Amino acid sequence: MSAPATSDHAAGHEQEQSKFWIFVQLAMLLAVITGLELVTVYLPFMKWILVTVLVVLSTVKFMFVIFYFMHLRWDKAFCTILFFIGLVLASGTMWALLKLFSAEASKPLTMAEPPAIVLRVA
Amino acid sequence: MSSTAAAGAIDHHHDPSTTTGIPNKKLLMWAFLASDCMFFGCLISTHLIYRLHPPPGTPIARQVFSIELTSFSTFILLMSSLMMALAVNAIQKGNLKSLRWSLVTTILFGCIFLGCQVYEFRNFVFEKHLTITNSILGTTFFTLTGTHGLHVLIGVIWLTGMLIYSFTGRLSEKDAIDVEMMGLYWHFVDIVWIVIFTAVYLLEYI
Repeated sequence: MSAPATSDHAAGHEQEQSKFWIFVQLAMLLAVITGLELVTVYLPFMKWILVTVLVVLSTVKFMFVIFYFMHLRWDKAFCTILFFIGLVLASGTMWALLKLFSAEASKPLTMAEPPAIVLRVA
Repeated sequence: MSSTAAAGAIDHHHDPSTTTGIPNKKLLMWAFLASDCMFFGCLISTHLIYRLHPPPGTPIARQVFSIELTSFSTFILLMSSLMMALAVNAIQKGNLKSLRWSLVTTILFGCIFLGCQVYEFRNFVFEKHLTITNSILGTTFFTLTGTHGLHVLIGVIWLTGMLIYSFTGRLSEKDAIDVEMMGLYWHFVDIVWIVIFTAVYLLEYI
């Protein structure tokens, strides 16, 4: 084997070794974040703060998994674009549905205020 | 390291033979996962919408759920993702022995997760009297987590098939893309659970 091939091989081996440790450290980090999420729900803060913290923490976990475990960081950008098309569509649909159904007018009739009776005088 | 790996490194992230530079199998899997995102997005939205306006008589979710069991399941699934990532790393280096150990551990963690889910479902049905038909909470909860569980089951069957195939002697470093596709699917199951854990379980405790 020639010298450049040997050095390429060594560099590749080093990269693979570093990947191994990246994966192990990342898994530990994900476990810690899960623990933080669990603690967060018992903290005596306002609801919107807790919801924001939980959403941010789960987004961080999500991103770490897709970019490192699913190799998006090392793959061509097109894979990221393709997956994010689905992800953005799904998130947009979720956001729209939740906005729509959290409106006052979309409350089920059994829970909403009784409609005002309008008397029509002929 | 195998002789194949030593003879010349295979670029596992790029394929010059396709117009996109991405192996076709990988492209197919990413397209499928993008569509599956929308599928789970709709199921999660449905659950959350009904949780926004629970009809009278709906069981109180935090009295039904067991956060300890779900946290344990989440931890197990995260660790299975680590083992899957190591399995892909192993086949890319041509290390079949390491691949097999990683696959066995991933299958084991997957089975533990499924066992926890079966236990949880039995507990809900027989102890808490929450079924798929007796309340909206039951309907959306069992549909969502059951669909996810089905994905995990498919993943475990796929992993087991790959483990058996690795003993036939036909699996080598150049087939790493097949293991990588399976890995993408498994990690996707993990990220869906990350969202379910927060949206379905943790939000009930606030």
